[in-house]
Amino acid sequence: MDLTTFPLLSLILWLPVLGALALFLFADARSIRVTALVVTLLDFAASLLLLPRWTPDGSMHYQEVLAWAAGLDFRYHLGVDGISLWLVLLTTLLGPIVVLFSWRNVTENVRSFFFLLLIQQAGMLGVFLSLDLILFFIFWEFTLIPMYFLIGQWGSGRRVYAATKFFLYTMAGSALMLVVILLLYFQTGSFNWLTLKEAGLDRTLQFWGFLTFALAFAIKVPMFPFHTWLPDAHVEAPTAGSVILAGVLLKMGVYGFLRFCLPLFPQATAIFLPWIAGLAIVGILYGSLTALVQKDVKSLVAYSSIAHLGFVMLGVASMNEQGLSGAVLQSVNHGLSTGALFLMVGMIYDRRHTRLLAEFGGLWRQMPVYSALFMVVVMASVGLPGLNGFVGEFTILLGAFRVNPLWAALGTLGVILAAWYLLAAVRGLLHGPLDNPANQHLADLDRREVLVLAPLVLLFFLIGLFPALFFDKITPAVELLLRDVGPVIGR
Amino acid sequence: MVPTHYYLILAAIIFSMGALGVLVRRNALIIFMCVEMMLNAVNLTLVALANQWGNLSGQVFVFIVMAVAAAEVAIGLAIVMAIVRHKDTINVEEINLLKW
Amino acid sequence: MSLPTLDFSLILPELVVLITALLVLIADLLWPRAASRGREQAPAVLALAGLILAGLLTLLAGEWSGATLQGMLVADALARYLNLVVLLAAALGLLLSWSYLPHFSTQRSEYYALYLLAVAGMLFLGKSIELITLFVSLEILSIALYVLTGFHRGQLAGGEAALKYFLLGAFSSGFLLYGAALFYAATGATRLADIAAQNAGGFYMLAGLALFLVGLGFKLAVAPFHMWAPDAYQGAPTPVTAFMSVGTKAAALVALFRVVQAAGSVPVGVWATALAFLSLLTMTLGNLAALRQSSLKRMLAYSSIAHAGYLLVGVVAGTAAGFDAVLFYLFAYAFMNIGAFAIASLLERPGFYAVQDAGIHAADGLFGRRPWLAVAMAMFMLSLAGIPPLAGFFGKLYLFAAAVESGWAWLAVAGVLNSVISAYYYLRVVVGMFMAEPSASAHLRLPLPASATLAVALTALGTLLFGLLATPWFQGISR
Repeated sequence: MDLTTFPLLSLILWLPVLGALALFLFADARSIRVTALVVTLLDFAASLLLLPRWTPDGSMHYQEVLAWAAGLDFRYHLGVDGISLWLVLLTTLLGPIVVLFSWRNVTENVRSFFFLLLIQQAGMLGVFLSLDLILFFIFWEFTLIPMYFLIGQWGSGRRVYAATKFFLYTMAGSALMLVVILLLYFQTGSFNWLTLKEAGLDRTLQFWGFLTFALAFAIKVPMFPFHTWLPDAHVEAPTAGSVILAGVLLKMGVYGFLRFCLPLFPQATAIFLPWIAGLAIVGILYGSLTALVQKDVKSLVAYSSIAHLGFVMLGVASMNEQGLSGAVLQSVNHGLSTGALFLMVGMIYDRRHTRLLAEFGGLWRQMPVYSALFMVVVMASVGLPGLNGFVGEFTILLGAFRVNPLWAALGTLGVILAAWYLLAAVRGLLHGPLDNPANQHLADLDRREVLVLAPLVLLFFLIGLFPALFFDKITPAVELLLRDVGPVIGR
Repeated sequence: MVPTHYYLILAAIIFSMGALGVLVRRNALIIFMCVEMMLNAVNLTLVALANQWGNLSGQVFVFIVMAVAAAEVAIGLAIVMAIVRHKDTINVEEINLLKW
Repeated sequence: MSLPTLDFSLILPELVVLITALLVLIADLLWPRAASRGREQAPAVLALAGLILAGLLTLLAGEWSGATLQGMLVADALARYLNLVVLLAAALGLLLSWSYLPHFSTQRSEYYALYLLAVAGMLFLGKSIELITLFVSLEILSIALYVLTGFHRGQLAGGEAALKYFLLGAFSSGFLLYGAALFYAATGATRLADIAAQNAGGFYMLAGLALFLVGLGFKLAVAPFHMWAPDAYQGAPTPVTAFMSVGTKAAALVALFRVVQAAGSVPVGVWATALAFLSLLTMTLGNLAALRQSSLKRMLAYSSIAHAGYLLVGVVAGTAAGFDAVLFYLFAYAFMNIGAFAIASLLERPGFYAVQDAGIHAADGLFGRRPWLAVAMAMFMLSLAGIPPLAGFFGKLYLFAAAVESGWAWLAVAGVLNSVISAYYYLRVVVGMFMAEPSASAHLRLPLPASATLAVALTALGTLLFGLLATPWFQGISR
């Protein structure tokens, strides 16, 4: 390990684990919550330290390598580049937000809950930071465990079914990756991503490699038709779980495509790109149309995730600078806006213990602050110019148009549909007469809840009005990727 | 001189009969006898081979096998006794508390 | 005529175990009648002390360079690792026995004596490089285990288990013996080194190897020779099952490895392919059958059968790396499997004349009753399924890596898919523990005897840490 530079990435990665262990020092719920909050805030601060000395050249920064295994040469190898940077920051930002949100509404097994949240955070960070394929696989599989327990123990209704489906579906998809990773190792002698992407693998290996990796990532994103685990998991999970699931876990799939499928298996990817685009578009349309008919608002948001991530995958399938950068930024945007949506749904659920749209209506009058913020979040999700969603979607559409105008046209259709179902949700929740007596005395957002949403809303505007700040860091990495891979694919 | 392979073939036949017996018979004691038949077939093989190769390893092996077989008999019969006391039968098909 | 000088220092740990076994047997007679409390615990304490002493001797005895005792027993790195695995499994099983035994038997000395004799058999089997020694060691361990399986005389299931185990065991010993005889036929030698040197080839070697595989395959509970295992595992006292599931597999695998190395003249492709199909059959059958079980112990028994399949993958690989992976997995397996059986034993409701078998739902709601036990059991289940970062994952990683390296990628794929299938029934237990209400008849406050709790703690720690801590060292054990 190179100790001349401070191991910042290790700090970011392991701080939540230390925090999780520290939870055992306390017995009362209050200390546990405070500890969790402090740890996640520290983690976010540490991840902000990645920004100041960032050289925008597309390479891997802050690398740390530690060889530790005999026999098989897998190493502890971390690194971050323009593609993973904002995903890491998204993860660490959502940490304290989720902890703060769950301040009052988790009352049973408090310590287990925050323990699982913290190790989940570490697991997800590990996925984004690993440059060694085995280490990546370890973290990838590991993230299933805390989420499984979070959904299964603190979720609602059919939580056991949802949790088990989530676990087995995802595990089945990613199991074959292990064999391919081993095959890559014995072909090239290394598990190191940096080595493997220069290696130039033969077509058969690329083909199978792409298929197995793509299967695992397609299930995670989720892409149609591997999406069936998502609605159940999202709806039954506790709000904190849904936020993390939508905010970060789904991005791991997109990240996987960008980090592994594309650089390691370029020829195979080139063959399958039209399929990815096709499934992405189907996802957009299917997600949007299904969201339209949902009666449960959480379910609506879940299907909107499928639609939004279909957009992101469309950007990936475009395989040009706009498409890819747009995809990366839109992943972050989706994390922020859908995360915020789930938080707001959670706030309503905390008050009324129902999520059915029919139960609501007219909240505008009763909860003005909530309604205002809800509108902002919805607009961000729809893609109103000036907010973050617009930047991402526009860039993706630009990229898609360059490849095939039809793709862009269908994508735009998705934008229109998004406006339709989201505004339908607004109408169902906020507009109309306040005729349900149960709603007539609801408390508006308190300080804690505003504090939870504030950073997200701020980022909506920041990304929306100053996108260059963010694209500056993404584009060099994307350009590097395209430089390596473009000639092979023919872009 | 009887050629060695005559012994080997005979032993093979006895072994097969014993093996078949274990699979087919239902009385625990008969099954046990078939196992002993198998072991003795191997003993025959070993003695014949010891003669062929001219070293005593085979014969030493036979002594050991006999000792082990005796130990097995002791244990096996004790186990059978333990079951008989409870169920009053040694028909293996009737001893089926634990399903396959 | 002079007697050959034997270097007994090579088998010191085994001798310690044997002597302890004899001491335990007569301790009961010699112990003064007055001190009754000590008298009850003495056999267990003595046995544990013997195991620990043997373990220390194995660890501290310096380099085991491969010197042999008259060409019959060898003390090499492979034997050393086997010793460690078996002694670990034995010690853990003994801790479980300590609290479990008083519930169904007063014959403590006999139990511990047989237990130690089984251990001795396993240790000698790991050291055997000669056919006669191999056979005798195998029989010592088998006969001791037959008796231990039926030890719970009060319940009929125990007797039935013992009978099935015995009959099928003796049957397969016959095959193994015949295989040994055929090796002798081919080469005129009984020492494995001599057999290897002869490089005989031909029908006898092939047939001998096949019969040997049948015999050892039975001991390993490889399909289609696995029929005895679910019954034996279910009917035997749970600590015996726990110990047996790891110890016999470990010792039999080492013997298999040595024999396969000695039969170098048989083309690798032939036996490797046969073993590969057996491995596939075993994994699949074990996992599919486990899905349908309603008894926790029987489910774990079928899971053991499936794990024998995974272990065979390492042998099929045929390389030193492959068998190193097998040894690594055996350690990990000792921790996770014995841990799982430990908790199964705590969930049973023992009685002098009958043990109420722990059903799948016995663990329901365990998190509410005994949270740390539930966490430990969850770790064992997830580790058995092969989820990182637990020990089971690293074990499978090494096994499948060895398979891929030797060109058996399809077997690795089968192994990986089987792991996913197994996750389903392991998760069922986890679901029950954390997300379900306890059944009406369950203990509200589970009694937690100290020794069993210690066993659970040790195995849980091992499951959590072994994978991460041991990987830097596991290399170059098998030649």
